[in-house]
Amino acid sequence: MSLSRREFIRNLSVTGGGLSLGFTLSAIAADNSSTVAADLSPNAFLRISPAGEIVMQIHKAEMGQGVVTGIITLIAEELEVDPTTVRYEMAPVDKAFSDPEYYFQVTGGSSSIRTYHRILRQAGASARLMLIKAASQQSGLPVEQLYAENAEVLSRDGAVRLPYSDLVSLASALPVPEEPALKTPDQYRLIGQQNQRLDNQPKVDGTATFGIDAPVPDALVAVVVRCPAQKGKLTGADREAARAQPGVVNVVDIDSGIAIIASNYWRARKAAEVLNIQWQPADPALQSSADIDTAMIAAFEKDDFTSDRSEGKAPEGEGLMTIEAEYNVPFLAHAAMEPLNTTVVPTNSGAEVWVGTQSPDLARSAAATALGIDEKLITVHNCFLGGGFGRRAMPDNVFEAAQIAAAIGRPVKLVWSREDDTRHDTYRPAVKARLLARLDNNGQVLSWEYRVAGPSVMQHNVMEMHGSLIPGWVPDPLVNIMGRIAGSSGPLALEGARDLPYRFKHIEVGYSNVETPVRLGAWRSVGHSYNGFFVESFIDELAQASGLDPVAFRRQWLPQDSKNRLVLDKVVEMSNWGSPAPGHYQGIAVHESFKSPVAEVVEISIDQGKIKLEKVYCAIDCGQAVNPDIVKAQMESGIIFGLTAALKGEITIKEGAVEQSNFHDYPMLRMNEIPDIEVVIMDSEASPTGVGEPGTPPVAAALGNAIFAATGQRLRQLPFKLEPNA
Amino acid sequence: MEKQTIQFELNGQPHKLEIEPDTPMLWVLRDALNMTGTKFGCGVGLCGACTVHLDGVALRSCSLPVSAVEGKKITTIEGISDNGDHPLQRAWVAENVPQCGYCQSGQIMSAAALLANNAAPKDQDIDKAMSGNICRCGTYPRIRKAIKRAAAEVSTWEPKAEGAES
Repeated sequence: MSLSRREFIRNLSVTGGGLSLGFTLSAIAADNSSTVAADLSPNAFLRISPAGEIVMQIHKAEMGQGVVTGIITLIAEELEVDPTTVRYEMAPVDKAFSDPEYYFQVTGGSSSIRTYHRILRQAGASARLMLIKAASQQSGLPVEQLYAENAEVLSRDGAVRLPYSDLVSLASALPVPEEPALKTPDQYRLIGQQNQRLDNQPKVDGTATFGIDAPVPDALVAVVVRCPAQKGKLTGADREAARAQPGVVNVVDIDSGIAIIASNYWRARKAAEVLNIQWQPADPALQSSADIDTAMIAAFEKDDFTSDRSEGKAPEGEGLMTIEAEYNVPFLAHAAMEPLNTTVVPTNSGAEVWVGTQSPDLARSAAATALGIDEKLITVHNCFLGGGFGRRAMPDNVFEAAQIAAAIGRPVKLVWSREDDTRHDTYRPAVKARLLARLDNNGQVLSWEYRVAGPSVMQHNVMEMHGSLIPGWVPDPLVNIMGRIAGSSGPLALEGARDLPYRFKHIEVGYSNVETPVRLGAWRSVGHSYNGFFVESFIDELAQASGLDPVAFRRQWLPQDSKNRLVLDKVVEMSNWGSPAPGHYQGIAVHESFKSPVAEVVEISIDQGKIKLEKVYCAIDCGQAVNPDIVKAQMESGIIFGLTAALKGEITIKEGAVEQSNFHDYPMLRMNEIPDIEVVIMDSEASPTGVGEPGTPPVAAALGNAIFAATGQRLRQLPFKLEPNA
Repeated sequence: MEKQTIQFELNGQPHKLEIEPDTPMLWVLRDALNMTGTKFGCGVGLCGACTVHLDGVALRSCSLPVSAVEGKKITTIEGISDNGDHPLQRAWVAENVPQCGYCQSGQIMSAAALLANNAAPKDQDIDKAMSGNICRCGTYPRIRKAIKRAAAEVSTWEPKAEGAES
């Protein structure tokens, strides 16, 4: 793709308004840049006010991954300003913010910095050059004698010293430079060094505005009572009893259930207790975890798998050793700390929506559909997200809130309970894998056959986006067909398996979609979350079968200078592999996801038959780390997220309903259970790659491999349950 | 349920409310007083996001009916320091503790109650005081470090706000 940057960065300044630059990386631009140029609205990314205040619009959701700090670091590096002086605000919905890989305005796939690092720096550099040019015009000195530093333009002889505020007016009338040179790594003063997060203070003093804190004090508060069963049907409810409760303002039926609207959350929640709903399950098929497991087994018997990767020929010959194993993972909920919520304020001209969302344009579409108005009349105020992990990519909460607002015609804040959040999530699918390898007498791996059966996240996403990404006029049956087509392919389901890095002679990788009524969604690292576990556990089994140490085996089959090999070597060194403290046992795994290879060693002890996490070592190659301490924090976060799933996470379905409800039966790792974590970031000046998710995929396998080392038990099902007398 | 008049001290200021006495303090703070620093996480005292101090003791405000605070002192994240500069808040910033940040008000309130009684907590003390607070982002290792960093300062730190404690 050979496109001039100029087509993407635009001077959007208006007279007297300071310097405003907009830029876009929209995929549409790749086909027809002129369309985008015309579409680029005044939603500037970067604005320098006449007073010199620098404001960044953050077009990605801040859900803890540190994107605010990353974006500002990159801009401030090239703009030559102190990042702590940059004010930031969450961007509205705008076509210019459409992600070039996902085709809509979404935060996911650990992609924000990987996708946007270059254009952010170009925008900062463009603004800096325009300010220098303005200083040149003002001072009469050639630009070569001027440079920028700490929000000022200075001359090398010291004669000129102009703050940006003196220059924005002049700069705003200049064209965007053609080819702004970006700094070389030796010139960085922020990239690789800016460690302090820029959104810390409001998060420690209680002033950070999450969706649930929407500043709409006159909003009523709504709760929704839904059928416990996925797609179940309400058949009756005592609406009048609920309406008679103190504080209740209204009770209205919406698509997903019955909304109780009250003066505050507590009164709405109390009234919900007397609603006494009756309901019927909608779909008799696959209404329990056991049924779904049976369907996955049937998929293997039917043997109808995609062939997403097929290399080499199946080995022939006598005396080959066959290693076979079945692995299983359960459904998982996201359990973000902030329960889902949305505030909708109907206005004379449309509506305002306050929400913390990974997908603001889906949120807007959902609200527009529910309110029956054009989406251009809706303003989405994206807030801090109290955790996302993929859950906040789906706007079902926005649709509900907008339906309630439409029914009552007043500002309303919908708040889900923890129980709602646990029972009406978009779950990480339960998945079953059957793996088979053949080895010769010398322990050489001759074949690797990898098959995964389970429900498709892609299929559910397609069907849920009907009306937003897929136009509402597309009839339901067609959407169902589109969903099936999307679901039958393996990409998401096989990510991290299709791209197996081990160079075995014969590789087969396939997927079979098992349709269930259970809602699904992206869950931190998506397909990698289980493929990392399956692949790296089975690799350990093959190491065992071939009589090699797990590290020696991986070194034998990973390409010599591959990044996977290098992070593996690093974590081996960090962990003093093979010589743990007495009573400690180690397991290792290496897995690349979102273009970042990560190797981890988990060290455990067994204390009275229980697994005690002692230490986790982690090495990541994420290219140039923009904010190294945030990369480390994301590794810690991803590791604890993955360990929580490995030791505790399990959602089960019974009679169509999720059985778990709150943190007592869907528990999280807590302070007293977590290991020390040590992270090393590989030195690199390569383009940044993902960090939000890649810490998660290897850790369950590394833990399982440590459990095998400690007990001889090869546990192939999550969450791990040690057999007694370990 | 009939409303009642309930009086208490909140972050050093006297408050008088007409409210249903079963209303949990969490919703009094959030919905009646628009003080949103205290967070709703689970509603049943399992996650600690709603932690406040009642007469200096860390409690889950989601399970604390407002009737139980009659005549008592409540401190929230908004009242722990005048300028967001309690040693724990500064330590949280220095250690880059927050990620999404949602649970951190509750974490800091639990930590403040710990340090008020124990100026040099050991790891086991931290485990005991902090294991009621869930952080889904997994900031626990940094919380531990930040508590240790703040511990030395807390004993000599003087809040400027009248009535603010710890």
